[in-house]
Amino acid sequence: MRLFLIISSIVFAVLSLIFTILPLGTIAFLPVVLTLIFSLLAFLKSNDKQKILPRIILIISVLNLLVVVGKIVLIKDKVVNDKQFELKKEESKKEDIKDLEGL
Amino acid sequence: MFMKKIFLILLVLQINLVAFSQIKPSEKLVYAASYNMSGLMTQLAQVTMQTETVKTTKKSFLHLSWEAATFSKWDSFFKIRDLYESYVDPASLRPSLYKRSIYEGGYTKTEKYIFSADGKTVSSTMRKKNRPEVKKSFSIGSSTLDIISLIYKIRTLDFTKIKPGQIISYVLVFDEKEYPVSIKFMRNETVSAGNLGKKECSVFSIAAKTDRLKGKDKNLIWFTSDSKKVPVLVRFSIPVGTGQLALSNASGI
Repeated sequence: MRLFLIISSIVFAVLSLIFTILPLGTIAFLPVVLTLIFSLLAFLKSNDKQKILPRIILIISVLNLLVVVGKIVLIKDKVVNDKQFELKKEESKKEDIKDLEGL
Repeated sequence: MFMKKIFLILLVLQINLVAFSQIKPSEKLVYAASYNMSGLMTQLAQVTMQTETVKTTKKSFLHLSWEAATFSKWDSFFKIRDLYESYVDPASLRPSLYKRSIYEGGYTKTEKYIFSADGKTVSSTMRKKNRPEVKKSFSIGSSTLDIISLIYKIRTLDFTKIKPGQIISYVLVFDEKEYPVSIKFMRNETVSAGNLGKKECSVFSIAAKTDRLKGKDKNLIWFTSDSKKVPVLVRFSIPVGTGQLALSNASGI
């Protein structure tokens, strides 16, 4: 059981790191919370000498959680000023006026 | 007799103004588009709905546009730059020109529909990525609308006269086909409306005979119940999932 919990927490910790790096927003909570649960259970199932690994995973998951919350709170969703798109819109409008003149 | 004529002219003008007053030519509505991923709503893009007056030598048009752009953090993964435009008659909202230009993760498609003066024929030009341009002409009903003018047309309805469960029918032209579309008034509900604060809204369900929309009464639009009839929330259910558009900023209304 302890081994299963440790393997699961490692797998979810890796997924958490990937999800935290990618711009997945709130979805990153899923693997982070699962890592927290599995590593906490593994920590509780371990005797004093075996607690080092689950403790490390637990610390990683807490740090991940802080990063995910920080990204959601501090980084505002923005649309980049796409000059190419703006130019395309301008050209399209000129073409539209030509079409409308013919109606 | 003279007064009667004046009264009639004023009445006609008033009716036209009522239809037009809800859509001002400098309106800008900004939405945050979210997609449901594993049960969590994730903000993906910004959708902007804008109106402006465009004049030609003969006529004046109301230019309605929708623009969708992914937030910068998503651009390197799946960039979206979609532009939907419609040039309509300011009073009747009947479309004269409809354009769709999509860029979704490298895939491109452009469409242009020119509506004939009687509104019964459409000359279309379509181009997909790596495919030749296709020109076509097809017949439509005289009251057929494009997808953009349809939303604005709904806003000209008198919501106070519509009862819950009442269905209003329209015909929509999309992807060179006509689709019957029905909107059903569901209920009144107070929701958050971005910078407008909490607003009482009229909720409508949109149904169309197409595979693009899924579920019964799962495609909903919340319009403010006041005279502006601003669409503040859209919830949609499509074959690949569910999502929503929530108003974040409204100006020029």
